[in-house]
Amino acid sequence: MDFEVTYTEEQQRFRREVRTWLEANVAPSVQRTPTSPEDNYQRYLELRALGRKLGAKGWLYPTAPAKYGGGGLDVDHAIILEEEVDRLDLSLPPYYDSGGRLGSASILVWGTEEQRQTFLPPIYRGEVRTWQLLTEPGAGSDLAGVRTTTAVRDGDQYVIKGQKIFVGSDNGTDRIWMIVCTDPKGRRHENLSWFMIDANLPGITMQPMELMGTGGEGGTDSGVKQTVFFDDVRVPALALVGGENKGWTVATTHLELEHGGGGRIGRNRVWDRLLRYCQETKRDGVPLSQQQDVRDSLADIYIKTEITRLFGLRNFYLTYARKPKSYEGPQLSYYRKTAGLWMTGAILDAVGPAALTTDPTWGSPAGFLETQQRNGIVSVHPGGTTDIQRVQMARRIGIGRSTREKAGTVHGAEA
Amino acid sequence: MDLALTEGQEMLRSTARNFMEREAPVDVVVGLQKLESSLASDLWRKAARLGWLGIVIPAEYGGSGDRLSDAAVLYEELGRGPLPGPFFSSGVLGALTVLEGATEEQRRRILPGVAIGERVLTVAITEPNTSWGPAGITLAPQGRNGSYTLNGTKLFVSDATSATDLVVAVRTGEGPTDVSLLHVDARARGVTARRLPGFVSWQCEVTFDNVEVPGSALLGEAQRGWAALARALERALPLLCAYMVGGCQAVYEKSVAYAQARVQFGVPIGRFQRVQDHVVRLVNHLDSARWATWEALWKLDTGRPAAASVHMAKAVASEAYLEACNAAHEVHAGMGVLIEYGLAAHTQMSRTLFHYLGDPRWHKRRMADALEW
Repeated sequence: MDFEVTYTEEQQRFRREVRTWLEANVAPSVQRTPTSPEDNYQRYLELRALGRKLGAKGWLYPTAPAKYGGGGLDVDHAIILEEEVDRLDLSLPPYYDSGGRLGSASILVWGTEEQRQTFLPPIYRGEVRTWQLLTEPGAGSDLAGVRTTTAVRDGDQYVIKGQKIFVGSDNGTDRIWMIVCTDPKGRRHENLSWFMIDANLPGITMQPMELMGTGGEGGTDSGVKQTVFFDDVRVPALALVGGENKGWTVATTHLELEHGGGGRIGRNRVWDRLLRYCQETKRDGVPLSQQQDVRDSLADIYIKTEITRLFGLRNFYLTYARKPKSYEGPQLSYYRKTAGLWMTGAILDAVGPAALTTDPTWGSPAGFLETQQRNGIVSVHPGGTTDIQRVQMARRIGIGRSTREKAGTVHGAEA
Repeated sequence: MDLALTEGQEMLRSTARNFMEREAPVDVVVGLQKLESSLASDLWRKAARLGWLGIVIPAEYGGSGDRLSDAAVLYEELGRGPLPGPFFSSGVLGALTVLEGATEEQRRRILPGVAIGERVLTVAITEPNTSWGPAGITLAPQGRNGSYTLNGTKLFVSDATSATDLVVAVRTGEGPTDVSLLHVDARARGVTARRLPGFVSWQCEVTFDNVEVPGSALLGEAQRGWAALARALERALPLLCAYMVGGCQAVYEKSVAYAQARVQFGVPIGRFQRVQDHVVRLVNHLDSARWATWEALWKLDTGRPAAASVHMAKAVASEAYLEACNAAHEVHAGMGVLIEYGLAAHTQMSRTLFHYLGDPRWHKRRMADALEW
């Protein structure tokens, strides 16, 4: 086994190229914590501008097929890009854009050539951002039970009505992709359809929902979600991907990825800062990190972050080496979520009430611990609750149903 | 990056799995449980012929000098039994301690016999204080006319009732790590090994009653024993972890099969989410132990600093094996506590290895030290 990506001479040259480019194109100010709603929006615009620059080079979605506007790069180059962007405390993409990693995968696997040509290049080039609209007031964990949002065919258009909740983040979006019910009397899993549409069509309105923290899988979320209303919204038939009433099959691709099937490599940003905080903060004249009870807690926290990293690494490997997966996707999701929730208590116990305040004098730097206290809780549900992940695992292990369930298809139509 | 086994490792896995299915099925493992000695001579001879006893011993000392990750494939399969016997005690920890601590002449004298299974080693470290650090080593030999006299007790010595040779860590100075290693004939006058009774697998008490040991029994140099033992442990522990990973894998497979086959309330019990939760908890522990162990092995095999990873692996694998057995018992209920079913052998082994060579808390603290927090 080899747990490390090894870099060739050419790849090391690529790393230098990326680093030089990022130094020239990423203003340090984009890493700031916004000071006001206006500043938050301003920063968002800066990140979008950065996204377009990255997209023009094929670096926003480096492994996406070049013929559709992606980078067409191999995984090793993508890792280099992610690592270099990560050094700047940013992610790829540097803002919440679930279409690039999730929705576009479904289009690649299930879309027609015309749909790929139409929908994918603007996403991969960073010209648009997209949000997913899945959850409804009556369909959360039971996503296949989507009923309240419907689409009816009318000539060469569909007419969409209904309501979606827990959508996106703040500052708006350009496109949205969604599952809707196209056959209210049809059988479960055979009555949904999957659409990619313009977010600014007449009849679409959005209303913010304020959450207690952020829980985005991408980690660059904002603590704001939206309720989206559809009032007889007319969309072209081209927006339907995978065929009428085939939406559940189309969704299994991005759901598999969202459930951790893609895996990830990268460091845990909370851990490094937590250790530094404990080394620099004294209680009774002794650094927290030198007190045995705190060290014991830190060891447990560290091990959870390490196991999360190892599960992510394993899934990443299985994906890129195209090895068969079974329960590993939902296992990573389950482990990460429960570890994060457990960690809120463990950190509060180790650090004390300073973990709860954003006060610049008495709290942690930039309130990063307070953020974890909130986000560790919020993160439990997006992309499927911990209980849903366990149900998925059991089915794939082969005990939940009479036939063993297979992992969703995540490969298709690569460059 | 490549997280698959190599072709050679796959072959070794398949050989070892066939061997286990043929030579050490559940009834054999269960039958061995109550014996005073863990060594079943027939199994031991066959394992020796396959070269498994010298798998980490370098070729110049009669072994095959395989990489630790190759040996780990074998130990996972042995752990599936869990096959008793001084495989780890002699072939891994014993051999590596001699390799790290002994002089060249001593290595050439001791190791070839270990590799063919004629000499069976075990390392005696802890004492009635049950510490696994150097401070716990208090047994001090009396030196006289260039020889030593030993009086005292070593505890939780693995497989001592089947050992021919003991490597005994003794205190030879006041400094914290002033420890030396003595090579003692297990059948010398005054040496008594006794398997500890109870819910523990072949952990022994070894008493020394005026045992005379020649000066030549000192392995390597005086006061260098702890350093040698620490180096040996760093390489040996991941193989003990691999054995525990194999144990977790076996109880996982047993639990899945039982959840599929056992019908209550008209359906296989695996349909019940409460039962599924036990299996999910089990597989999460299994995979935590597996990947922590394999990353430590990879670091050791590629010469990377590995101390923190090794300590983490032992902490994680010890907890995992214990928790995996707990979860398996929740799935199996009454069936799981029937001795003949075979789960109980794992459960007892999981408790035994939880503490052996350092419990999770001890290793987590050493991990924190190694990470220089």
